[in-house]
Amino acid sequence: MDRDLPSSCEQSIRSPSENPAEDSLSPETLASLRSLVITPSTPDTAISSIFQTLTRSLQLSRDPLVLHHTLKLFSDLASHRPSLSSSVSELVRSHALLSSDSTRLAAESLDVLASIAERGGTPVDLDDRSFVSLCFGPSVSVRSWLLRNAERFRIGPHVLLTMFLGFTRDPYPYVRKTALDGLVGLSKPGVVEDLDMIQGCYCRAVELLLDTEDYVRSAAVRAVSAWGLMLVAFNLETKLYWSDNLFVKLCSMGRDMSMEVRVEAFDALGKIEIVSADILLQTLSKRVSGTTKGMGSFGQCPAAEVESSASSVAGVLVHGLEDEFYEVRKSTCHSLRTLTIISAEFSEKALNLLMDVLNDDSMYVRLQALETMLHMATYGLLKVQGTHMHMFLGSLMDGNMSIRSATRKILKLVKLPNIETFKLSVDGIIDNLERHPQDEADIFSVLFHIGRNHGKFGMSIINEVFKEMELASEGKLGFDTARVAALLILAISALLSQGQHACNIPPIIFSYAVTLLGRISVALTDIMNQDALLAYLSQCSRSTRFSAMEFNLREDKPRLPAVTIASSSHSSNEINGTVGSPFQQGEDVAANLQYQAMREPMEVASSHVGYHLEVQDEVIRSMNLIFAKVKDIWPLIQSGFTNEVLRVLRSFKEELATFTSGSLRSVGAVAFALQYLRVVKQLAKVWEHFLPARKLCSGMGELDIALGKLETRLRELKSRFTGLSLEQELQILELLLLTCTLRLSKVESYCQVASLKKLSMTASHVESILKLGSIEPSNFMSEVGKLSYLTRTSSFGAPCDPFLFKELLKYFSLEQFVVFGRIDHIKAELVVPDNDSENHLPFVPRLPVGIPCEITLHNICSENKLWVRMTMDDESTQFVFLDLDLFGSSDEVRKFTYVVPFYRTPCAFSFTLRICIGMECSFEDVPPVKRYGGPDRELTFLCQEKEVHLSMVGEH
Amino acid sequence: MKARQRGSQKERKFPSMAIECLVLGAGQQVGKSCVVVSMNGKRIMFDCGMDMAYHDHRRHPDFSRISESGDFDKALTCIVITHFHLDHIGALPYFTEVCGYRGPIYMTYPTKALAPSMLEDYRKVMVERRGEEEQFTSEHIVECMKKVIAVDVKQTVQVDKDLMIRAYYAGHVLGAAMFYTKVGDSAIVYTGDYNMTPDRHLGAAQIDRLQLDLLITESTYATTIRDSKYSREAEFLKAVHKCVLGGGKVLIPTFALGRAQELCILLEDYWERMNLKIPIYFSSGLTMQANMYYKMLISWTSQKVKETYSTRNAFDFKHVLNFDRSMISAPGPCVLFATPGWISGGFSLEVFKQWAPSEMNLITLPGYCAAGTIGHKLMSGKRTKIDLDKDTQLDVRCQIHQLSFSPHTDAKGIMDLVKFLSPKHVILVHGEKPKMATLKGRIYSELGIRCDDPANNETVCIPSTHHVEVGASNTFIRSSLNPNFNFSKISSEDESDSRLKDGKFMPWLQVKDERAAEGILVEEKSKRAKIVHQDELLLMLGEKKHDIRFAYCFPINTDNLEDTKSTDVSSSSNALSMSGRCSWLPMLYIKLSDELSGGNIQYFGEQIQVESFSVSLCLKDRCPYRIVDSPPNKCEAVFFCCTWSIADEKLAWKIISILENLDYGTC
Repeated sequence: MDRDLPSSCEQSIRSPSENPAEDSLSPETLASLRSLVITPSTPDTAISSIFQTLTRSLQLSRDPLVLHHTLKLFSDLASHRPSLSSSVSELVRSHALLSSDSTRLAAESLDVLASIAERGGTPVDLDDRSFVSLCFGPSVSVRSWLLRNAERFRIGPHVLLTMFLGFTRDPYPYVRKTALDGLVGLSKPGVVEDLDMIQGCYCRAVELLLDTEDYVRSAAVRAVSAWGLMLVAFNLETKLYWSDNLFVKLCSMGRDMSMEVRVEAFDALGKIEIVSADILLQTLSKRVSGTTKGMGSFGQCPAAEVESSASSVAGVLVHGLEDEFYEVRKSTCHSLRTLTIISAEFSEKALNLLMDVLNDDSMYVRLQALETMLHMATYGLLKVQGTHMHMFLGSLMDGNMSIRSATRKILKLVKLPNIETFKLSVDGIIDNLERHPQDEADIFSVLFHIGRNHGKFGMSIINEVFKEMELASEGKLGFDTARVAALLILAISALLSQGQHACNIPPIIFSYAVTLLGRISVALTDIMNQDALLAYLSQCSRSTRFSAMEFNLREDKPRLPAVTIASSSHSSNEINGTVGSPFQQGEDVAANLQYQAMREPMEVASSHVGYHLEVQDEVIRSMNLIFAKVKDIWPLIQSGFTNEVLRVLRSFKEELATFTSGSLRSVGAVAFALQYLRVVKQLAKVWEHFLPARKLCSGMGELDIALGKLETRLRELKSRFTGLSLEQELQILELLLLTCTLRLSKVESYCQVASLKKLSMTASHVESILKLGSIEPSNFMSEVGKLSYLTRTSSFGAPCDPFLFKELLKYFSLEQFVVFGRIDHIKAELVVPDNDSENHLPFVPRLPVGIPCEITLHNICSENKLWVRMTMDDESTQFVFLDLDLFGSSDEVRKFTYVVPFYRTPCAFSFTLRICIGMECSFEDVPPVKRYGGPDRELTFLCQEKEVHLSMVGEH
Repeated sequence: MKARQRGSQKERKFPSMAIECLVLGAGQQVGKSCVVVSMNGKRIMFDCGMDMAYHDHRRHPDFSRISESGDFDKALTCIVITHFHLDHIGALPYFTEVCGYRGPIYMTYPTKALAPSMLEDYRKVMVERRGEEEQFTSEHIVECMKKVIAVDVKQTVQVDKDLMIRAYYAGHVLGAAMFYTKVGDSAIVYTGDYNMTPDRHLGAAQIDRLQLDLLITESTYATTIRDSKYSREAEFLKAVHKCVLGGGKVLIPTFALGRAQELCILLEDYWERMNLKIPIYFSSGLTMQANMYYKMLISWTSQKVKETYSTRNAFDFKHVLNFDRSMISAPGPCVLFATPGWISGGFSLEVFKQWAPSEMNLITLPGYCAAGTIGHKLMSGKRTKIDLDKDTQLDVRCQIHQLSFSPHTDAKGIMDLVKFLSPKHVILVHGEKPKMATLKGRIYSELGIRCDDPANNETVCIPSTHHVEVGASNTFIRSSLNPNFNFSKISSEDESDSRLKDGKFMPWLQVKDERAAEGILVEEKSKRAKIVHQDELLLMLGEKKHDIRFAYCFPINTDNLEDTKSTDVSSSSNALSMSGRCSWLPMLYIKLSDELSGGNIQYFGEQIQVESFSVSLCLKDRCPYRIVDSPPNKCEAVFFCCTWSIADEKLAWKIISILENLDYGTC
C-alpha cells in the first residue's frame, strides 16, 4: 500500500497545477492532501509539492472555506514536518491574513503561528493594536478564542486588562465568562498596582454575580474572590473593610441555584483569613441576630447595606453543610478550616455543626469534616462536649477505614473535659478494637496517647476496672481479649503521664502487661522499643511507688503533644524551627526519634506557622504531611494488610500528583516523594513474604523479583536526587540495609555472598556518615553494624545464619522523612526526532550507524558519569559514554543534540533499538560483572527507554 | 431586531397589557390552592385543590368566578397542577367531571401516577367512613386523569402558539414542580409547595435565573426560620440507637409517602455505617407499594439517591423486612414503620398498645398530629395514662421522641428564592394572613420588590413586560455587532453616602458597552417603528446638527485676585494692566488644578478647558451672558465668560462656584 502512495499523491497534486485557471482546491483534494501530509512515509518531494500547491491556494483563493482548510493543512504540515515549520510560519506571516477582512481567518492564521512557536519556532509578535482590532471584530467565536488564547501572544497586561474588563459587558455570555477567567489570571501581585483598577475589576465582577447564566456567575465568583483578595491585601487600613465586603459578597452566592456556583463560593470563603466576628457568627444562624438589628451595624458594612448584607450572610454555612450536593458540603467543611481560626466563639459553634456532619451520607464529606476537626485540634480549638460524644465516637464504628483512622488521629490530640467523656471515649475505642481488630496497632497507640494526655482519668478508670481484670485472669487467662489489652495500655500510659506523682495502680497489672509485650511493643514502636518496654514493665510490676522519671526510658526528653500544643506561640515557633532542621537541634538521635514520634501531630500546627513565613513552600509542607502519614502505615505493612497499604499509598500518590505545578524547588521534592512512595510500596510487597502466617506457596522467584525491584527503586532514590542531607541519606541507607537483611534472612536466597558483601559495604558507608556528623544510629542500624562486623571479622564464608538476620528485622521501623532543603531531581530526556514506527532511520548492515538524539539533562554535574545504553531485540547491549564536558556548562539544564554511534548493526532488513541514558551510581563500590567498554558500576536510568526504528537503506 | 420597551403602548394582538391574577383559593389561608392567571389573552388555572376543613360548597374554589356561563373550556386555556396533595388537586375531578371542563391539564409524571390513589383514598374516607354525599366517583377520577398531559422536569411544553409552560423541580413531595409560564413577553412562575433545603430522599427546589414579571409563591412558613436539620437527625438516630442497643423496640408511625422513605433512608444509612444487624420492618403493603413508586421515579429524588442509583437503588432497603402481626410480641429489639402516622387507628395503634407500656421501647412522632389522635395526646405534655376509649386506659411508659421534618420551605427559603429570581412583582398565597403581611413587608424592604397577599376571590393586576417588534437599519445592526465599551469614573458629585466610608473616598470605575444606546427609535411615514444609528438620523431627517451649549459670564473681584495672585504668581507688578489681566487665567488654572483633583484640565493660553467646559476672559463691555451688569467696583472686577455643554452641567457649576468663592471667600 505504501508503494501506491507516491503515484496517487502526484495525481492529486498535479491536477490543480495543470489547470492554473482553477485556483481553488476542492474539498476532496484537500482531504486527500491531508492524508498525505499526516502519513509519515510520504516522500519529501511530494510534501514539497503539496507545500507549493497550498501556497498557491493561499495566495489565490478567495473562498473562506478553502482558506480555512488550507490553513489547517499548513498547521498539519508544520506539526508533522518540523523542517517545514519555519517556511510555513513565514508564509502565513507574509500572506498578511492578519490584516485581511475575515477575523476568523486571521485568528486561524494566528493559531497556526502560535502552535509553531510553541514547538520551538519564532515567537508570534502580535502587536497590541492588531489584537485589539481583532477582538473588536464582529465574530463572537474569534473574540472568545482570542481572549482565551491571549497569553500565547504575549499581549501587555494593561491591554489585556482593558480588553477583559470591557468584554465583561459583552452580550454573549460565553465571552463574559472568558473575560472573567482572563481577569482572574491577571489578579497576580505585580501586574496591576493601581487601587482604582483593582476596585474596578472587583466591582465589575461583583456586578456579574447576578448574571443569568450559571457559568458566568461561577466565573464571576472566582473573579470576585481573586480581586477581592487583592483589595484586602492592598492596604492594611482598609483590610478589614474589604475583607468583610468580600465575605458578604461571596456569602450571597452561597444560596445560588447552581451547584457549581455554590462550590466556587464556598471554596472562595475558605480563602478569607480575616473577617469581623459578628459577620462570621451570622453565617451559622439563619436568623439575623438581634444585635445586628438593634445596633444597625454589621461588621464594617456601610449602614445602608446592613440589612441586606446580614440576610445574605445569615446561615450560609449551615446551608452549605446541608446542601444536596456532596461537593458543596465538602467544600464548606474545608473552608471551615480557615474560618475557625479567626474566632474562638465561631469555632465552638461551628464544631456543633461539624459533629452533626459526621452523620452525612457521603464518606468524602465525613472525612473532610474529620480533617477539619483535626485541624481545629492542632490549634487547640476543638472543645469537645458531652453532647458531641455519641456522634463523634460513632465514627470509630464507621465501616470505612480512613474515617476510623481520621477519628483516632483526633482522639490522639483532643483534650477531654471530664471523666465521663473520657470513659465514653475509651469505651468507644475499645468497641472499635472489638469490631475492627485490624486497627489494633493504631488503637493501642491512640490509647497510649489519650492515657498520657489524661493521666488522672486513666488511673481512676484502671482502678475501677481492676477487679474486672482480676476476674478475667482468675479463669482461663483472658488477656487476649481486646478489652483487657486496651486497658493495660491505658495503665502503662497513665503512669507515664503522672510523672513524679506517686501512682496507685496495682503493680500486678504491669506483670499482666508483660504477657502482651509483643502486641504492645508493635503499637508503640514510635515511642519505645521492646526492651525498654519490658524493662519498664518489669520495674513497674515490682514497685508500687514507682515514678516514671526514675526510669531511664528513651523518654528522657518528654515532650507531650498536649503540653506543647496547649502552650503559647513560643513553643509553636520552636516547632517550626525543628521542621526546618529537625536534626540539628537534638544532640542525639534517640531524643530526636522520641521527638519525631511526638512531632507528628504537631506537624500540622507548625505548618500553619510556616504558612505565614513561606507560602511558596506549601508543597513541601504537604509533602511532609504525606511522609508523616507514610510512617503511620508501617504497622499496617508489618501486620500484612498489604492491599490496604497499597490503596493508601495510591491515594498519597494521587495527592502528590496534584502538586504538578510548583516552584523549581518543589518539582524535585515531588519527584523524590513519588520515588519514596514507590520504595515503600515495594517494601510492603516484599514484607508480605516475611509474615509468619504466609505460606511459602508463592515460590522464591516472586520474592527475588520483588527484592530486585526494591533494590532498583532504592538505588534510584539514592542516586537520582541531589541536595539530600546526611540524615536523609542515612535513612535511605537504612532502607538499603533492610533490603540486604531481607535477602539474607531468607534461607533460600542463593546469592548470599554478594548480598553479604553489599550489606557490609553499606554498613561501612553508614559508619562513615555516622562519623561525620553527631548522628546516633537507629537501633536497627547499630544491630546490623554489629552483625556485619561479626561476619567481617570471622573468616570469610563463615556460616551466616538466616535466623540471625531475621532477628534483626524486629529492630526496624519506618522513620518519617522530612523534606526541607531543595532537592534536585536528576533526570534526562531523550528524543530521537523524526523516528517512529512509520519513519525509520536508514542503516547499512554491518556498518556503524549514527542515531541523532536530542538530549536534555537536568541537574547533572560534571562528576556524574553518563552512559547511553542501546539494547537490541536479542538483548545484546552496547554502551556509549557521554562526555559531559563536550556539552555546555550549565549544571541545571543542558540541552544538546548528539549523534550516538551504534556499531553492531545486524544483517537484517530492519530492527529496533531500545535506547536509554543511565548514570553510574557512585556509592555502589561493588563493581558488577565487568563489561568491556561499559560502565564500571551499576547504572541508574534517568529516562524512559526509547525505541528507535531502523531499516536497511533501499528498503525505504 | 427587538428593542425592549415597558409601558402602556397598546398592541392589537394582546388586548390587555397587565397580568391579572384571580385568587380562588389559598388566599390568606392554607388550603385549597387555586389561582387563575390571565396574561396576554391566555388564562391558566394553577392547582385545583380542596379545603379539608369544610364539608359544604366552601371546600371547592368558587369556579363561577371564572365563567358566569359555565363554559370553562372557553374561559380557561389550561390547568396546571403542581403536586398530588389534596389541597392542590382535590377539586380537579369535580371540576372536570361535574363542572365539565374538558381542556388540557398538565402535571408531572409522578403526580399523574400518584394522584389517582390519593383521590381514591380521599373519596373512600369521605363516602365510606363519614357517609357523606359523593363529590365524585371512582370513574370520575379515571376519566379526569385521562385528560392529563404529563410533563417532565425542565421540559418546555408549547400549550398553544403563544403559551409555553415549563416545570422545575420543587422538592416538597415526589413529583412536585414549580411552573414557569410564558405568554408573549410576559412570564411568571407559580411555585406550588416547595422546599429549599434537601432531605434524604428529595432534592431542594431548583430553577434557572429567569426574567419574571410575577412570582406567585407559597408562604406556609412565612415567619418561621428553621435551624439545620442535621442536629434533629442526629438526635433521632441517637435515640433510636440507644433504644435498640438497650434491647428496646422502636415504633415509627408514618403515612405511606414521603416521611417513611425519608426516615428509612436515614436509618438504612446509619445501619450500614454502624454495621447494625437489628431488623427494620415495614408494616403494611401500602408502604412497600409506595417504595416501588420511588424506585421507579428515581430521577425525581435527591442527588445522592440519583448518584448511587447505578450501584444500588436507595429504596431497595437492605435491612427492611416485612412485618408480620405475630412479631408484635416477639422478643428482641427492632424498628417498625407502621401506618397511620398519627396513631389514629389501624396497625400503628395496635402495635402502640402492645409496646407503649415498656420503658425500653421508643415511639417517634412527627412534628404535627391532628387534634384528637393519640399522637396528638402524646405530644401534648408528659402523659403517663392515655384513654383509648371509655373503658380502656393505657399506661404509657415508653420513651417518646418528636421529630419534625417539614417538606415546606421556611421564610428564609422564600426570601432566598425571591432574591434569586428577582421578579418584578411577588404574590403570596398559601399562608396565614398576619404572617404573610410580615413577609410581604420584608420582601419590599429588603429586596425592594412589590408584593401582594390577596384574599380569596380577589384579583390583583400587575403590569407586564411587552416587546414591540421594530425594524433596524443596517448601520445600526453593524454597529451593534462590534463591541463599543468605554470606561468612566463616577465623578465626585455622584458619590452617595454609601461610597464614603470613614471619610475615605472610594472611586468607582465603570464599564459601559453602549452599542444599543447609540440607536434612535424613529417612526417612519409608514407608521413602522425603526431603529437607526445616531449618525444616520440627520441624514434621514435632512437636518443639521445642533449643539446646545450653556453660557455664563460673571465678575471676579480683582482685589482678591490680586491677593491670591501675589501669593501664587511671583510676577505681580501691575494688576490692572492688560498684561496683568492675561496672567489671571494661569492663576485660575493653578487654582482649579488644586481644587479639581483628577479632572482633565487644559490650558490653552486664551482659555481653560475642562471636559466641555471652557472659561476665558470676557473683554466685551456688554456680554449677552452677563447676569450681573454692574459690579460694585467696576475697575476692580474682571469678567469671565464660560460655556459648556449639557453633559458637564454639574461640573460647570462646580467650577463656577470655585471661581466665585475665590471672590466671596476673601471679601
